[in-house]
Amino acid sequence: MGDIWNGIKQAFNLIIHFDPYVMRIALFTLYICAVATLAGTVVGIPLGTWLGLYRFKGRKIFVILVNAGMGLPPVVVGLFVFLFLKRQGPFGFLSWLYTPAAIFVAEVILAMPLIAGITMAALQDVDPKLRWQSLSLGASPFKSILTLLRESRLSLMAAVMAGFGAIISEVGAAMMVGGNLMLGQVPYTRTLTTSTVLAVSSGDSTLAIALGIILLTLTVLIIIPMTLIQQHARGKTTWLRGLKASLWFRRFEGA
Amino acid sequence: MRVAPAVETPVAIRIEGLKHAYQGHTVLEIDALDVREGEVLALIGPNGAGKSTLLRLINLLERPGQGDITYWDGSHLANLSRKQRRLLGLQMAMVFQDALLFKRTVRANISYGLRVRGMGRKERKGQIDEMLDLLGLGELADRDALSLSGGEAQKVSLGRALVLKPRILLMDEPFASLDYPSRMAMRNEIMGIIKEMGVTALYVTHDHHEVLEMADRIAVLHEGRIQQVGTPGDIFNSPVNETVASFIGVETILEGRAVHCKEGLTCARVNGVDVQVLAEARTGEKLKLVIHPEEVLILRDSAEAGSARNRFKARITGMAVLGPLVKVTLDCGFRLVSYITRTSLSEMGLDVGDEVTAAFKATAVHVIRH
Repeated sequence: MGDIWNGIKQAFNLIIHFDPYVMRIALFTLYICAVATLAGTVVGIPLGTWLGLYRFKGRKIFVILVNAGMGLPPVVVGLFVFLFLKRQGPFGFLSWLYTPAAIFVAEVILAMPLIAGITMAALQDVDPKLRWQSLSLGASPFKSILTLLRESRLSLMAAVMAGFGAIISEVGAAMMVGGNLMLGQVPYTRTLTTSTVLAVSSGDSTLAIALGIILLTLTVLIIIPMTLIQQHARGKTTWLRGLKASLWFRRFEGA
Repeated sequence: MRVAPAVETPVAIRIEGLKHAYQGHTVLEIDALDVREGEVLALIGPNGAGKSTLLRLINLLERPGQGDITYWDGSHLANLSRKQRRLLGLQMAMVFQDALLFKRTVRANISYGLRVRGMGRKERKGQIDEMLDLLGLGELADRDALSLSGGEAQKVSLGRALVLKPRILLMDEPFASLDYPSRMAMRNEIMGIIKEMGVTALYVTHDHHEVLEMADRIAVLHEGRIQQVGTPGDIFNSPVNETVASFIGVETILEGRAVHCKEGLTCARVNGVDVQVLAEARTGEKLKLVIHPEEVLILRDSAEAGSARNRFKARITGMAVLGPLVKVTLDCGFRLVSYITRTSLSEMGLDVGDEVTAAFKATAVHVIRH
């Protein structure tokens, strides 16, 4: 018990004093997860929209793939990315294995189906007449889709956050394809999760606890706004309204 | 002899040979239908008659399997360019049975159509304020649209379409989801605005009372086909067939045979009872007689019947309250239905089983031939 308490105290010391090793890893993790989430969103939202709104031959296969993708075990994703990227693999010529690019690929594969799947479900939940209504009021087909996306903006936000949450806490794939490497003092493919695994296995529980606290804090920081947005969906809080209004869509609709 | 209409009104939409099917099942088959500029044309018919489908086809939300629609500018649906489609679409607006408001404020909802047309903020504001005032929605402008009551929401939905000053307004049972008093108030208000704006309106409903009051013309649809098109008077007084008659609320359709005919007055025998009808008929001809419930009087004393040629001893077999009216079912050798006001019901102290006199004029009977 004393060990843990000591560990926590020292861990806070590391955090409060901006220990360079811990901070660099935290920043690198945030950076790679943000970029991967962004890529997953750019692909996932249009894919989810397409599957949610259009009926075509072979759609079911895509839907099954996306739904299955939402529950992919990270270790299996890591394994496949590893097999494709290793020197003798089909994409070995890229020399991406044990680079941040490999982690990026694995994380996009993990986040994208989540984002696409939640987007698809959200759009299927919107009354199909709402699309007719917006077209009938003069919206172009593209604008009518933006209107529907805006109508389900809370779900879309949840989708993006779910994607981000899934990859920031993921360890198996990042370890397998990134390799948990440092370039001198700078983390090259070392993330919060992989460095925690390393710290534990090398007996540095203080460091492990510090990294764990940071990871936990980041995760909570993501969950807090998500919960607030959902709970205040019909509320009157003005700053949340501003967030909800998601000016982004408005600009495109009005264009 | 064909009687030419007094004033030739230009046609806004002409429908020819339109046929539409879902999964091999034909839902709409219209040989010809014109919508005239500035008129309110009501489409009535039972559920699944194809009314909503027709609105969607006109509004270019779906493409018909076959046939053509000619729009006011002479363009044909069959060969519209993408640009023409869009331009036509911008001059039409549709209102659905559900308000289908967006998760935004009332103001933002009404602003939607103007915004997607690229109208500037200032210009928009003027028109939105005007519409909010017109509908008395000013105080709700900044409310979340999803927090409105059913009536308010439907009003916003109508305002959202009307603010576009559409050439053609398509309404798919816009008042059906409202309760009786708000429906009455709202349809008078909205129809007033539509008439004032001179909008051509196509209006789906299955409330035949509503239609008789609001529409310039009525088209009756049944199983995807037009049964009859005409003024409310035409339809109400001379339904072309039983389907139309039963749909517009005629409760009594009697089958009989002409016994004799003299000077335009026919005596038809129904279940052994003679009914006087103002119509020509050959002796022995089979006739269907339509009697509107509003035309049937119930009397305690047969002497009060006045000029009514038809009077029968009758027994009251049933009563049901229909809003301000009471529907009384009578047995006078055949089944007869009468609508009387609640006031006269209580004044006369009628009850089921009472013996009364039922009376109606020979002119009140409409004949359908086969």
